[in-house]
Amino acid sequence: MPETRSYDNALKMAFPSIVQVGGTPHRAYSRFLVPKDLLSTITRYLHTQPDLRGRLTLLWASDHRPTREAYEIHYLFTLEASHHWVVLSIELADTDRLFPSITSHIHAAQWYEREIRDMFGLIPEGHPDLRRLVRHEHWPQGTHPLKKDFHWNHVLERQQGEYRFRHIEGEGVFEVPVGPIHAGIIEPGHFRFFVAGEPIMQLELRHFWKHRGVEKLFEQLTLIDAVLLAERVSGDTTVGHALAYCQAVETLLDIQVPRRAKYLRSLFLELERLYNHLGDIGAMCNDTAYSLAHAHCGRMKERVMQLNDRLVGSRFLRGVMQVGGVSWDVDRKELSNIAQELTDIQKDFSEVGAIIFANASLTDRLETTGVLTEQIAWDHAVMGVVGRASGRDCDLRRDRPFAAYDELPVNVALYRYGDVRARLRVRGDEIHESIRLIREICSRIPDGPLASEPSKLGTPGDWTLAAVEGWRGEILYMVMAGEDGRIQRCKVRDPSFVNWPAIQWAVLGNIIPDFPLINKSFNLSYAGNDL
Amino acid sequence: MFRIIKKSLKIGVVTGRYQRAERPTIPVTPEATERSRLFKRSLAIREVDTGSCNACEMEMNALLNPVYDAERFGIHIAASPRHADALVVTGPVTINMEGALKDVYKQTPDPKIVIALGDCAINCGLFKGSYAVTGPVDRHVPVDMSISGCPPRPAEILAALSELREDDATAER
Ligand code: SF4
Repeated sequence: MPETRSYDNALKMAFPSIVQVGGTPHRAYSRFLVPKDLLSTITRYLHTQPDLRGRLTLLWASDHRPTREAYEIHYLFTLEASHHWVVLSIELADTDRLFPSITSHIHAAQWYEREIRDMFGLIPEGHPDLRRLVRHEHWPQGTHPLKKDFHWNHVLERQQGEYRFRHIEGEGVFEVPVGPIHAGIIEPGHFRFFVAGEPIMQLELRHFWKHRGVEKLFEQLTLIDAVLLAERVSGDTTVGHALAYCQAVETLLDIQVPRRAKYLRSLFLELERLYNHLGDIGAMCNDTAYSLAHAHCGRMKERVMQLNDRLVGSRFLRGVMQVGGVSWDVDRKELSNIAQELTDIQKDFSEVGAIIFANASLTDRLETTGVLTEQIAWDHAVMGVVGRASGRDCDLRRDRPFAAYDELPVNVALYRYGDVRARLRVRGDEIHESIRLIREICSRIPDGPLASEPSKLGTPGDWTLAAVEGWRGEILYMVMAGEDGRIQRCKVRDPSFVNWPAIQWAVLGNIIPDFPLINKSFNLSYAGNDL
Repeated sequence: MFRIIKKSLKIGVVTGRYQRAERPTIPVTPEATERSRLFKRSLAIREVDTGSCNACEMEMNALLNPVYDAERFGIHIAASPRHADALVVTGPVTINMEGALKDVYKQTPDPKIVIALGDCAINCGLFKGSYAVTGPVDRHVPVDMSISGCPPRPAEILAALSELREDDATAER
């Protein structure tokens, strides 16, 4: 791509001291080694330059001991105009444990940098908030699980400690703690509200209750077997995570995925999107006490999940992805059944949708509730359903096509108001779009093999990135190969990790009874966030 | 209004439109049945997630949709452990959730039963041995009954609960 090269050259011209590395053509990104002291300047340049507009997409660290006494930290930016990926890397050699924080000018880096501090013990210099993130206060000092000298089955001691919330004090200011265990059947997380009268003045999230050590567990597995773990990072995104993981490994091992498998992957991904969106719309209606719509949506979601079960024997489509392709075929008869069933569901959903949107009191609850402005969405690198409801026009299926999307153009749903209603509308549109895509897949799917066999083990130290547009948003995997076909390091990023902080802004000025509704309209994963 | 009624009439009753599950793979012990005798007609459940992947949660949620409608068997979800007869625990117990699980157990009034839902809750599943996981549920609180699966289907959860309560009303017809 000549265009790509021009971005790279512009960057090299602006900063002559950076070094471009890598260059394997199938790695879909350009990568630069950056001196530590230049990092802030370059990231700021990438983020703010009007023709680049780099969005921080992933930030991760890796420990290279014992091979090399060094840590590396990598910053992945997506350029807005071209959707090109740029990776900046810095190295902390020998006993160096400090790296420059970029949070003050790129807010999206905030949680990543705190995460790196917790997991590796590296200190982001100049970070405005150095409280612990993943490690709750009862973890002993000096435990950094992703360091190579920390054993995966280490038994942690306990210590005393207290998390300090940011406080607002004054007459009439109340503090409302919620969680970690909630009233409904939801995952655990803690929300601390400060209110004066009705409106919320501040919300602070305290998450990572469900931290299971997923990234460390990946390091105990082989490249081929770890799909099982990827499926269980966030259960409702089984296909999305497994697919992103498989794509990363396929790049590492130079595997060409057969075309039929690519179509089936898209099929499963759309089915997953479908049942989740149906459920979400129902749940949002339920939080406004509109149980009729909830019942209808629950029924339709169940229908799709039963369809999944009939197709592959799992309601969550588990066990269908494998490195190199898919492990489950869907024959022609079943494909036409799916198309038929989905036509029914679409009609059904259109009727329910008409009922939902004709309801004035519902609209009243949804409109102007929980507004996330486009500016805040951009500042926090928000994407996925939430981003598209706030005018952020990004969808990897269109921007960086994977699976069969290079042949299946996707119409991206986009709304600008950023309120709960916009998020509901995005989901509604995407349901129709998914059904259309599935019908297209059913009619165009080519015959052929389902998977290619891996022929090698992967070069130790070699790494790559892969991204998938799951139903929530962009799922990213960075996989680094180790010895004997094992995994040296795997960075998992569920869209929830990026979108969670944004909810702290969306609730401001709203009343606490609307919080469950706003939260549902984001519907983020706790498991995928906490890892 | 007319549209709503028309839609409801067209759809009709969907409750029970699912494939019945076999008997649970992990048999229910007589002690557990004995303990739940009190809750035969009405069982209030508090669900506690101690680190699941959230698929188990989703299936618990599905129990309440019109297709499974667990409420017809007198099973409902309590908003607080203080109102619960049974705790349903999903997920391996993470180091960060261990304290919360013990607190919830203490806050649930006696007599109570504890149900471990899903393979993770029973034996930590894939997360076994991790530094951040402090063991299956029964290491921290006594478990009366286990429902296996990853995740168990809603029909399987219903079958197990009906077995527990040996209640004719719950028996699949
Ligand atoms: S048992 Fe399976 S579905 Fe349930 S929490 Fe564990 S991994 Fe998830």
